[in-house]
Amino acid sequence: MSLRFDDQFLKKLEYLHVVSKRAFAGHNRADRLTPTRGRGLEFADHRPYTAGDDFRHIDWKAYKRLNRLLLRLFDEERDLPIYLMLDVSRSMAEPSKFDMARRIAAALCYVGLAHLDKVTILPFGAGLARESAAGRGKGRIFRIFEQLEQLEPAGQTDLRESFKEFASRPRQTGLAVVISDFLDAGGFDGSLKILRTGGHDVFVVHITSERDRDPGALGEVRCLDAETGETRDIEITPRLAAAYRKAWDTHAAELQRFCGRYGIGYVRADAERPFEEIVLTAFRQGRFLE
Amino acid sequence: MTFGALAAWQAWALLAAAAAIAAALFLLKLRPPRTVVPSLLVWRRVLDEARELTLWERIRRAVSLVLTVLVAVLLAAAITRPSRDVNGTAAAAAGRLLVVLDSSWSMQAGTRSGETRWDRAVAEARRLFAGSRGREIALATTADGLVEGPTMDAALVETALERLLPSGGDRTAWPRTAEAAAVHFITDGAMMRATEPGVIVHSVYEPAPNVAILAFTVRRALAGERRWDAYLEIANFAPVGQTVHVTLERENARLFDQPLQVAATGVLRQVVPIAPPGNAVITARIRAGQNALTLDDEAVAWIGGASPLAVTVVGTDTGWLQTALEQSDGVDATFITPEAYGQGMQSGGGGEVVVFDGWAPDAPPKRPALLFAPPSLTPWLSAQPSSDPPAVATPGSEERRPRWEVPGGHPVVDGVDPYTLVIDRARAYTHPDLVPVAASARGTALVSVRESGEARAVVVAFGPGESNLASAPGFPVLLANALEWLARPSPVLPLFDGEDQRAGGTAAPGLVAFVPSVLRLADARGRRVPLWRLDDRALALVPAPGLYTAEGSGFRAPVAVNAGDPELSNLSRSTLGASAEETPVPVGASGRPWWVYCAVIAFGLILAEWWTWQRRITV
Repeated sequence: MSLRFDDQFLKKLEYLHVVSKRAFAGHNRADRLTPTRGRGLEFADHRPYTAGDDFRHIDWKAYKRLNRLLLRLFDEERDLPIYLMLDVSRSMAEPSKFDMARRIAAALCYVGLAHLDKVTILPFGAGLARESAAGRGKGRIFRIFEQLEQLEPAGQTDLRESFKEFASRPRQTGLAVVISDFLDAGGFDGSLKILRTGGHDVFVVHITSERDRDPGALGEVRCLDAETGETRDIEITPRLAAAYRKAWDTHAAELQRFCGRYGIGYVRADAERPFEEIVLTAFRQGRFLE
Repeated sequence: MTFGALAAWQAWALLAAAAAIAAALFLLKLRPPRTVVPSLLVWRRVLDEARELTLWERIRRAVSLVLTVLVAVLLAAAITRPSRDVNGTAAAAAGRLLVVLDSSWSMQAGTRSGETRWDRAVAEARRLFAGSRGREIALATTADGLVEGPTMDAALVETALERLLPSGGDRTAWPRTAEAAAVHFITDGAMMRATEPGVIVHSVYEPAPNVAILAFTVRRALAGERRWDAYLEIANFAPVGQTVHVTLERENARLFDQPLQVAATGVLRQVVPIAPPGNAVITARIRAGQNALTLDDEAVAWIGGASPLAVTVVGTDTGWLQTALEQSDGVDATFITPEAYGQGMQSGGGGEVVVFDGWAPDAPPKRPALLFAPPSLTPWLSAQPSSDPPAVATPGSEERRPRWEVPGGHPVVDGVDPYTLVIDRARAYTHPDLVPVAASARGTALVSVRESGEARAVVVAFGPGESNLASAPGFPVLLANALEWLARPSPVLPLFDGEDQRAGGTAAPGLVAFVPSVLRLADARGRRVPLWRLDDRALALVPAPGLYTAEGSGFRAPVAVNAGDPELSNLSRSTLGASAEETPVPVGASGRPWWVYCAVIAFGLILAEWWTWQRRITV
């Protein structure tokens, strides 16, 4: 599948910003305000001069008026570290789901790169796979597209292990976007808490498909777990099918409720919905893009 | 229970095997189609919750297993053709089996369950045959005797059973087959019948209310000439009184159409006047609420004298006949001379009956003829008698002062008082076709009849000139009898010696005996009824009530066949007692064979299983 977007769509993406609920300070200058005072262009405040401060920032007009040495402070504008964590386990192997996940990742990448944010792609399954080198600038987008195109679903999902691994490496805190179907036997709450306690602003993109939500035709079937290879003979009765749908809705609702409780952004991306609608509408509604 | 298609042990083995195979197939785990799901995570949650429904699951599986086994057993049972067990000792006996069905008309009676007694009898016969696999079987009815067998081929007997219907028959006849080890007689006991010892009687009797026309005749009315009264006798053999709707029809006209109240076990007699013009056939029909037998609900009658009898008298001095015929009601006489007869009448024109007085044509007349003292040397009346047996008379001879000593039994001389007749001289007619019906003590035929040839003839061997015939009290009787026999013959004979003959020209359905001169018998639609010759009778199996026409040499006579008979129509009694030797045939025995029910139920269960499986109610 090609992840190339048409120009019109890319233009629309350029108007969007990735929104983080918290302000993070990156290493490079960019156009995002940071909580630190530094060498920006916009005046922020004064503070008394102390030995060692740069003379160039002394406000001489204030000294003349107040006879005190005050230092002018400016807002620091830096980039935002964005970690796009993409689930590449076998549960995502359904083409529509995986394509949707990669397209969303690509779109968010483009939005981030367009605003000079530092975007890192982190595929994960049972653990973290090889992450892409953090980069800035739109010029990197094609390399990221290629990288996303080369991803293949494999292995099981282990959110906890993957996020622990992510948290164990020294990183700048930033925006962690988890794109996954969250079908992990270990659950999602503990693992998302790991990201959150790591100081990141976490955003969840829940990828779902019709096959996830509905058990399909009635009758006796041998269900094969795509990740574990476990089989189970199930006779799907109307009652059982209804129970399945209910259980899945509960699963999705629990994830959404958890995200809401811990201030984690949540957007559900149904694979059957048009991709552009999800990016341009759902993400805006989820206050992830503006 | 017996099995028609297999031996009992084979049938039970098949049923057990079918049940076992069905259960094994049900319990055998078939590999379901495989489907890859992203994760069993949600399924695990659902199935963990579903474990609470284990009891329901067990019930579902048990119901499905039972249904599957039941379907298999029912289909296997359908193959074995099961039926109700019959009289155990008789069915189990070895040797040839004879089943005799009572084919009395009463077997057509309906029962409360909707089946007829005959249906029950046939069903019982089927069961008897089904329970006698490996034995020679034979089927007989009381009317037809041995119908099929002895044979080992059950299909032949089954075919015979399908085509058989009650057809009356001789109550004294009893079918036999050689070396029958067991004889079963299936009857309702309506007719008293002497069975042989050792016969196992199966009773299909069940009291049934019935309404019947017991008698229906048309008589000449007492008041007024050329008027008739239809006499109808209706009996209600029901324990409650009921309204009987009576209809009398003549062609398409309704002479009588009224509901009449008939008391319980009562008889209603109704007389309906009938106007002269119109068709001679009158049909009576009845309808009632409780009426088990339809055979006796219709009767026909024939108006014998619906039109005056045209008589042509040929002679030169016929005044004595003119007086007698003018006094006879319903006779239209024409008098001509022998010359006139020779000129035009010989061809067959003229009246229905020709009376020759002292003269006879050279050739036999083509119309029924009454001849008084014809010339003894008339060619068709006289012939050289054979020597064996010795002739009592020779052609042209006469007997002086013969005495008519014995009253005859023939319809022509019935009621004629011979003692008032004084005969001076009687001619002898020796043609072998002439059958004497009254003779002198010396054997000279005084009155002869001729039934062979083209037309009937009655020859009286003396005339008014040689006897006191014209003034004798027996003459009008003889004349009326002769004209009636010639013009309106009654072809029906008593079936058995000593049996009373029914009113002229009527019979009951079943075996009917006719005079030997009857050559053809046809129903109202012209369909021929086969005739058999037996001794001096022509026999026919008349299948249903109605008007028939008997044709023979020189005559054509209607025969009204009516079923009305108290013995037949009273379905509330039976000659069978409450004897333990009689095996009652249960109600509803004639229903469809069990295998049909087995197959239908099996398919019903299959449908139910499929329907519930589609909705996952069963597994």
